[in-house]
Amino acid sequence: MVFVQLLINGLIAGAIYALIASGFSLVYSTCKFINFAHGSVIAFSAYMLYFFFSMLGINFGFSVLFSIILASLLGYLMNVLIYRQFRKRKAGSSILLIASFALLILFESLLLMFFGADIRTIGYIKVVKGISLFGAVVTPLQLIIIFTAIITFFGLYFFMKKSKIGKAMRAVSDNKDVAEIVGISSERIYSWSFGLSSFIAGITGVLIGLEQNLEPVMGTAVIIKGFIAAIIGGIGNVYGAVIGGLLLGLTENFGVWYFPSGYKDAIAFVILFLFLIFRPNGILGIKKGGDKQ
Amino acid sequence: MIEAYLIHLLILIGIYFILAISLQVSLGFTGLLNLGHVAFYAIGAYTSALLILNGFPFWFSFLMAGVLAMIAGLILALPIRKLKGDYLALATMGFTYVVYAIIINWSELTNGPLGLPNINKPSLFGFSFASNLSFLILVVIITAITSFIVYKIVKSPFGKVLESIRDDELASQSLGKNTFKMKSFALAISAFFAGIAGSLYAHYVTYIDPTSFTIVQLIPVLAIIIIGGLASLKGTLAATVILVLIPELLRFIGLSSSIVGPARQIIYALILLLIMLYKPKGLYGKVELD
Amino acid sequence: MLKISNLKKFFGGVKAVNNCTFHVEKGKITALIGPNGSGKTTLFNLVFGVLKADSGKIIFDKNELRNLPIQKISNLGISRIFQQSRLFDNLTIKENMLLAFDNEDTKLFKNVFGFNKTTKEKENKIEEILKLVKMEEHKNKLAKNISYGQKRLVEIARSIIKPHKMLMLDEPVAGVTPSLRKELAKLLSKLRDEGETIFVIEHDMNFVLNIADSVVVLDEGKVIASGKPDIIKNNKRVLEAYLGD
Repeated sequence: MVFVQLLINGLIAGAIYALIASGFSLVYSTCKFINFAHGSVIAFSAYMLYFFFSMLGINFGFSVLFSIILASLLGYLMNVLIYRQFRKRKAGSSILLIASFALLILFESLLLMFFGADIRTIGYIKVVKGISLFGAVVTPLQLIIIFTAIITFFGLYFFMKKSKIGKAMRAVSDNKDVAEIVGISSERIYSWSFGLSSFIAGITGVLIGLEQNLEPVMGTAVIIKGFIAAIIGGIGNVYGAVIGGLLLGLTENFGVWYFPSGYKDAIAFVILFLFLIFRPNGILGIKKGGDKQ
Repeated sequence: MIEAYLIHLLILIGIYFILAISLQVSLGFTGLLNLGHVAFYAIGAYTSALLILNGFPFWFSFLMAGVLAMIAGLILALPIRKLKGDYLALATMGFTYVVYAIIINWSELTNGPLGLPNINKPSLFGFSFASNLSFLILVVIITAITSFIVYKIVKSPFGKVLESIRDDELASQSLGKNTFKMKSFALAISAFFAGIAGSLYAHYVTYIDPTSFTIVQLIPVLAIIIIGGLASLKGTLAATVILVLIPELLRFIGLSSSIVGPARQIIYALILLLIMLYKPKGLYGKVELD
Repeated sequence: MLKISNLKKFFGGVKAVNNCTFHVEKGKITALIGPNGSGKTTLFNLVFGVLKADSGKIIFDKNELRNLPIQKISNLGISRIFQQSRLFDNLTIKENMLLAFDNEDTKLFKNVFGFNKTTKEKENKIEEILKLVKMEEHKNKLAKNISYGQKRLVEIARSIIKPHKMLMLDEPVAGVTPSLRKELAKLLSKLRDEGETIFVIEHDMNFVLNIADSVVVLDEGKVIASGKPDIIKNNKRVLEAYLGD
């Protein structure tokens, strides 16, 4: 059944977008700025998997581990070495946005320089005949993606709800000044946010690297879908990011039924514009009053 | 040999300068976080190329490049009018991608990823600007006219209204200024000259394809205006010269050309970061990003 | 000049402006006072179009202001200053003043072709008004380079030079030295004597009671008293509002 196939494809794409968007929204919720470089961390993770596994021949499990660890480190360092320096100088969110854009281009160019422009693939999970499910075909890789995404989201949920750091993150997200008064160090929370967000990015990069081809521009392509999903769900709202990601994945895949597949990206942008104009706070965001100020 | 190389550099400086000062109008002077500049550049390039490949004279193709880009700017201004700061950045960046997606997919019109080859060199009043030297002269003339117009605009009271919107839009409205109209004008002006730059680019390289019009192309222009200083025309000129020339030095160190490309972007990104950290007003600017 | 009838603005459960009715008379100074959070600035924002009223009427010089955009309201003849300083930081004092002069500067082609020159006449007028607040020496300084008190003075000057039928001043003397306050009180009285209509929010009681012709007192979004300053001074409810919980 075409419908079920589109549904499944939509859910897979949605799961990936949700992963991208949740990491991105996590940083936005605490640090209050748009971090385009999140895409770079994802691309970096994918390329590291390629480097360790396909180029160096290291055991797959270890390669995945190293990639995720390095990605987490990269994100953490970006915050400490770059963004923190800007915050010290009282930079506003616009400056941080441009800085993150510069970092995105920086890493994209570095990847281009070291790995070349050729498209690469990580051929770990062989293309096997997929399993039949309700009249549609699902490959083992797709199942792994959904499964990993679900575990990641649950893990994130429990972390944010129950752990001390998670609660502190929510406090900083709600009201940084009040949080500082009760003794929470916002810089420490920022470090945790970046670490956690990049950890998720690491996982995302590994999954994307296995599912799609690698090219240096993937960081940019990935973060664009990421911020669209985040805006749909309500930027800064991690649960919203998940919903937004799923909606985006489903809309794109069902939309491709009607439009030529090349216009998939254009669909995403139309959705972005519609939300930015009519509901900039997204689905789960709070609707502000009709103020002009 | 050296001559040809210098001519090439000067042409690049001219085209980048037009791109940069046009972005200054919407970003530096009006304060709009307009990351959609490359989209207008692309519209200009493709409009000009398609028109001339279909037999229209150069002067018409060239002007229409600016006009169509300007119309796109006016159309974009409407849906984004209530957006500010980050959201405006996202929407305008999104616009760059929409235009890119259209270019790469609407093959019937743009030939998609294959691009448009054999774009004619410009010819005006029977005089052909085929040689690089004559093309340079054309670029110089157009750059000079552009600079003059932009200078006139920003130094006039109209320019001050734009700056007032950047500094405090609410206060500007409370003085009775229709800020939506002003912002639309600013975007349209930026777009017009970006389109003109696109046309020059298309006729210079004679072959265009979508890869020259991605969001990455924004980094050099953004770097130029921030490093030169927002709202500083003088700074923009200095920064254009510096930023076009510095990566060229890489060639002399013997780097292969596949490295020079990404290396250029790396340099731009790094310099941009450093300047924003250590000299946020840039070389000559008096205005900082908020 | 300005007639407010049954004006309402609720923010969810908060009744910021709750059925207010009063008027601002032409050629007089009307002061809007009340404890913090009583809705004064919200009221100003409703009149000026920064906020949209839920219901009620705002009639200025025979025009209904509700639902009009800010710049239209401004061009109908209201000159407003805000609680925080809103000068154009990267422009000079003179340029700040020029922007207020008229709206010819919004005409693109007229300006680009040089048909909107800054005449000697304009310069003299600006000089004259800056002299009223003693800021004429600083006219070529960038607005971000002058002190807070000086900024407030320039804002007052700017609101005067802008063509207007009514001035709306939100705490014009907050943060300003006592001697300067006296000067400004004199200035406002002088303007009123010359026929200006002034609507002012102020916390400084002396300032208000000395120059205001009429006082409107707000508490928790409601008008609890209005009339001449002497009457208000001794009004029990007013005293309660200020001193009570």
